[in-house]
Amino acid sequence: MHAVFTLALKDILQLWRNKFGLFWVIAFPLLMALFFGSIFSGGGSAVRTMKIAFIENQSSDAQAFLAELQRSEVLDIRPMSLDSARASVARGRLTAYIQFIQADARQASVWSPSKDSIQVGIDPSRKAEAGYLQGLISQAYFARISRKFTDPQEFRKEMNRSLESMDSAYGLSAEQKGLLRGAFTQLDTFMSSVNAADSASAHAGNPFGSLNLSFTDVANVTVGPRSSWEITFPQSLLWALIGCAATFALSIVMERTHGTYLRLRLAPISRLQILAGKGLACFLSCVFVCTTLMAFGAIVFHVKISSVVLMSLAIISAAFCFVGMMMLISVLGKSERTVMGSGWSILLIFSMIGGGMVPLMFMPPWIASLSNLSPMKWCVLAFEGAIWRGFAFADMILPLAILWSIGFVGFFIGTIVLIKSES
Amino acid sequence: MLTVKNLSKRFGSLTAVDSVSFRVQPGEVFGLLGPNGAGKSTTINMIVGVLVPDGGAVEINSGGSPVDPGVRRNIGNAPQSLAIYGDLTAEENLRFFGRLYGLTGARLRERVDWSLELAALTDRKGDRVDVFSGGMQRRLNLACALVHDPSLVLLDEPTAGVDPQSRNMIFEKIELMKSEGRAVVYTTHYMEEAQRLCDRVAIIDHGRILDLDSVDALIDRHGGISNITIELDPDAAIPTDLPGRIEDHFLRLESDRPLEQIAQISARGLVFRSLHVERPDLERVFLNLTGRRLRD
Ligand SMILES: Nc1ncnc2c1ncn2[C@@H]1O[C@H](COP(=O)(O)OP(=O)(O)O)[C@@H](O)[C@H]1O
Ligand SMILES: [Mg+2]
Repeated sequence: MHAVFTLALKDILQLWRNKFGLFWVIAFPLLMALFFGSIFSGGGSAVRTMKIAFIENQSSDAQAFLAELQRSEVLDIRPMSLDSARASVARGRLTAYIQFIQADARQASVWSPSKDSIQVGIDPSRKAEAGYLQGLISQAYFARISRKFTDPQEFRKEMNRSLESMDSAYGLSAEQKGLLRGAFTQLDTFMSSVNAADSASAHAGNPFGSLNLSFTDVANVTVGPRSSWEITFPQSLLWALIGCAATFALSIVMERTHGTYLRLRLAPISRLQILAGKGLACFLSCVFVCTTLMAFGAIVFHVKISSVVLMSLAIISAAFCFVGMMMLISVLGKSERTVMGSGWSILLIFSMIGGGMVPLMFMPPWIASLSNLSPMKWCVLAFEGAIWRGFAFADMILPLAILWSIGFVGFFIGTIVLIKSES
Repeated sequence: MLTVKNLSKRFGSLTAVDSVSFRVQPGEVFGLLGPNGAGKSTTINMIVGVLVPDGGAVEINSGGSPVDPGVRRNIGNAPQSLAIYGDLTAEENLRFFGRLYGLTGARLRERVDWSLELAALTDRKGDRVDVFSGGMQRRLNLACALVHDPSLVLLDEPTAGVDPQSRNMIFEKIELMKSEGRAVVYTTHYMEEAQRLCDRVAIIDHGRILDLDSVDALIDRHGGISNITIELDPDAAIPTDLPGRIEDHFLRLESDRPLEQIAQISARGLVFRSLHVERPDLERVFLNLTGRRLRD
């Protein structure tokens, strides 16, 4: 074990000395995270459309409110049942759902302010979007109210409804009812003669309605990337892993082309120890770089890791997977050129289909299914699972098992090919 | 110390090493002299356990095989192609290889300092090897083979591409190793080096050892005659019955017993202005054995 550590430390020292290698291992991944993260978060939530659900409600008030909401260009609204809307918000597919609960008509009229209530279900972490959404909802609601009172047709409808409800109202004497009815009837006659155009310009304000707008946290919801950084930082970890694998694969080839591998073979250590030393160096570098990048993302860009334990597991497993890939790549050829050329092409293609370039969540279905073949996909999935996908340990088992399998197979095949190619 | 028995290695149809046998004692410098491609490096690689022989055996310290890591601990090998890390410093290289052989702590420090001293790199120990001259890199390559204090040292063309100063330094170190009782196997295609350093030399060509003995014995056996040139006094009369041929006042003759011959001529009262005896060398031995020169 002493020898393996000696070998690993030597390799890490060499990586540290190799400024070009360090660039690929840490600077480039960080640049990717920052560059794409800032592109996607560029205009902030105001510019992006906000996907929300409107809980199905056939009442005319609800439909009128919906129509008003739909005037907003920012909102992309789809009708849904409460249950599926809640699930969609929970899974991060939708920003929020809006439920219009109409005040009991019998207790409300133009005279006694209606208490419609609007429930908004939203991920509690999306504070900025919640505030923005609140503004949009209020605007739509009061636009509807003011339309009601500036449109004579609407107003008469409302009045008639009030007349009907008055009949059944409690606490009014027969005389009072009679008086009111008389007043309403005259008003109705008057209103019917009013020119719609005139009344449209009349100021209505909001003397009658008040909105009961409440926000509900959707239970246990932290699912869905809260910011573009939560997409680009997992990707940056992937790039760091790719950088490590390529660098250490190259260092194995360089040991051979520079003759130092021969000297390692002369030492009283086994070939397996030599390779284990390389593997350990690659593994430690992967873990270190991933942890550093993740800590940077968490501290500076508020990437919230929902499970530190799962994140650690994901990083360790991904590092192991890339050790295996490093071993495989190192035997792709005997010269530095062939190994670097073929190694990077393979890593880049895997990365492309695995979500290293275009985030998995934005991929069309056919690429998404193709991506299952890429080790990178499982890395990203495991990282995202620990950050915003809200994975439980059970959800983690599949990606982690795949990563470990790739790691083992890669190390095994790489070792055998290397030993075969020597004799 | 080292016994090589009927060692053979084939690469495809090429027999690189063909039934090579020899023994090396402690305190002996043993030379493998042969042209490029003779099979010297292949032999060394089998001795150190990096190449698996197709036939024959290597025994180190009576019976140990270099495949056994414990046996390799006692072997130091300076490969023909430099095997040091350019991006590490001289000291880091030595520390790394020392650790691989299990050295730690004060012992490691002591051996690293000793090796730096040996390679005359003590004042450059903190510099990256990349920036070293070829001679300095060669010396470090040698020092890395010795840092773990091996009793059997194999040096594969350790002077290749080295300036004369470094070459002399390397020679001195090899003589030092010999005096410390280490067994040294030295491969070269420079006959002067073999002649200067080696107690015994194996002449190797096309994978076969053509002959093996001390330098003197080899020359006696295969060197043939010496060339003698005697410059006589041009004013004195030159007898006509002298052996050899007269050109001007130079007497040239060939002899396998040059000293006796010179003594006989001198006994005739002739005055020598100068005397030049050209003894055959290992180059001549190689030429006589193979019909080719060591270096073309
Ligand atoms: N790994 C190898 N594969 C094929 N041929 C080899 C290999 N190593 C050496 N040879 C051949 O074996 C012969 C002996 O090589 P080598 O031992 O390096 O000679 P030397 O060290 O005496 O110059 C040469 O013809 C060389 O080309
Ligand atoms: Mg050689």
